[in-house]
Amino acid sequence: MSDRSAALGSIDSGMVVQPLGIGLPYFASLPSELYARELLNFVEITPETLCRERRDGTRVAIELLPDKLERARQVCGALPVAVHGVELSIGSAHGWNAAYLEMLDAFQAYWPFRWHSEHLGFQTIPGEGGATLNVGIPLPQPATEESVRIVGERSTAIQRRYGVPFLLENAAHYLADLPADPEIGDEIGLMREITERSGCFQLLDLHNLHCNAVNHHIDPFDAIGRMPLSRVVEIHVAGGSWHDGFLMDAHDGRVPERVWDLLEYTLPLTQSVAGVVFEMLDEHAVRLGVQAITEELIRARDIWRSCRPG
Amino acid sequence: MQLALGRLIRAPTREDPLGGLRLDTAERARLAALADSPGFRCTVKAQRSWCAGRAAKSAQLTLSLRPAEERQRLLDDWVNSGGGTPSFFTAEAAAFLEFLAERLPCPSHALTVCRVEQATLRARDGAIRFAVPDRSWLDAPDRVLRAGRYAALVPFRAAPHLLLAALEGQPLPPISPTITPVLFGPGLPGLSRLATGEEMALWERLRAPQALSALWREGHPREAIATLVMAGVAEYGE
Repeated sequence: MSDRSAALGSIDSGMVVQPLGIGLPYFASLPSELYARELLNFVEITPETLCRERRDGTRVAIELLPDKLERARQVCGALPVAVHGVELSIGSAHGWNAAYLEMLDAFQAYWPFRWHSEHLGFQTIPGEGGATLNVGIPLPQPATEESVRIVGERSTAIQRRYGVPFLLENAAHYLADLPADPEIGDEIGLMREITERSGCFQLLDLHNLHCNAVNHHIDPFDAIGRMPLSRVVEIHVAGGSWHDGFLMDAHDGRVPERVWDLLEYTLPLTQSVAGVVFEMLDEHAVRLGVQAITEELIRARDIWRSCRPG
Repeated sequence: MQLALGRLIRAPTREDPLGGLRLDTAERARLAALADSPGFRCTVKAQRSWCAGRAAKSAQLTLSLRPAEERQRLLDDWVNSGGGTPSFFTAEAAAFLEFLAERLPCPSHALTVCRVEQATLRARDGAIRFAVPDRSWLDAPDRVLRAGRYAALVPFRAAPHLLLAALEGQPLPPISPTITPVLFGPGLPGLSRLATGEEMALWERLRAPQALSALWREGHPREAIATLVMAGVAEYGE
């Protein structure tokens, strides 16, 4: 542990994650048979999709909905579960979403998970009278020392709270020239510093990396070479689409060849990866259909097996 | 910086979205350059599309009864006012439906459907934790009743089945001068049903809390009172 990581109070990342294989997000709208197939090794659940928000003045609570939760558990059966949250806003300088964590406490008590991931970024800002305002879209975290400290301390706390690896996902974004401290450099430097100092891990979203590479003219293979690969526990592959001259991480289609190339390149470079997930949004999953989803899962599985023989 | 960026994304056309923030000249210049970049415009467009999409999802039926141009204007107005940003459906839906209700013609079928979507949302929300109340309390004359917090009575200006058919593509029925009242409550099977005349009168009376003795004196049938209470359409007050 470095001096700097000690300063953040990082936990030792002696956490060992058993390799699982190929995963798929849980969507109530997809046929339940999809989650019973042998080609699936685990399920990724976004607990917020099983919740409702209740507001009482300025107090906000996120409540799990028993019927949705029970159905999800029935559908997913005995498959191992990883949590992929979207509401934490871990990088917000004014504070994170405590209601989300309270909900996750209840979720874990009901349905233990192998690891837990969130997006490296922020989506809330302070409003008037102590209220929290949603921006309406996740925004990238500035690559600054302050970000390392804020997100690092919170990541350490989360990892202690749940006793399982906590992963930060690299985001896709369209904003060039965000503030950055020279010693951190860019979003890859930010991820490296946070994971090293806090002991948390990375969810490497290869489609997000692909989007940033295309939109900001960087070499994705070079970017992978600078990443903290020994900290990568999960990989996302996904599809996107072009809007106004930008390739967007719309999660609305099949995985482009370039992203498959990145997966084939990355997997042999790290033994820490425990799972690869084909990520989609609910509304697009139904449109894509079972056949297309199955084909993507098979391709991911073939690459996984070629890199993880035995 | 986060606050400045967040405000710019939320309200890029507002006169001074950075008003009140302590920013030096260099920071303001940097933000101005950022706000003028194609990537920023793309982010704002995506944010507005997400916000409008979330709002539209919460009022699908109501919006489907308005012309495309008006639908878009209503969504734009909502997003311009800062709406559509929360991810959770229920909190967002209730606020957006109220926003729509204030802007729809009265009477109109669109307003009826808007009230139906509001009432369904509320009743569904209440149904999650609904427990049938203690019936024995209905024997206590001092017990106070009020309209249920998760209940509603929606006056239809056409036979409900005709309005439902219109939502599936049939022509809209004419606006009727008489109303067909439909009750919504968390304990009702299917969350809604037609209201009887007695129930409608009772609902109107319970807009303000009433002691049971007063309701009995006015001749409201005990069985109608019990039915509404057991379905969460009326509830015990303080």
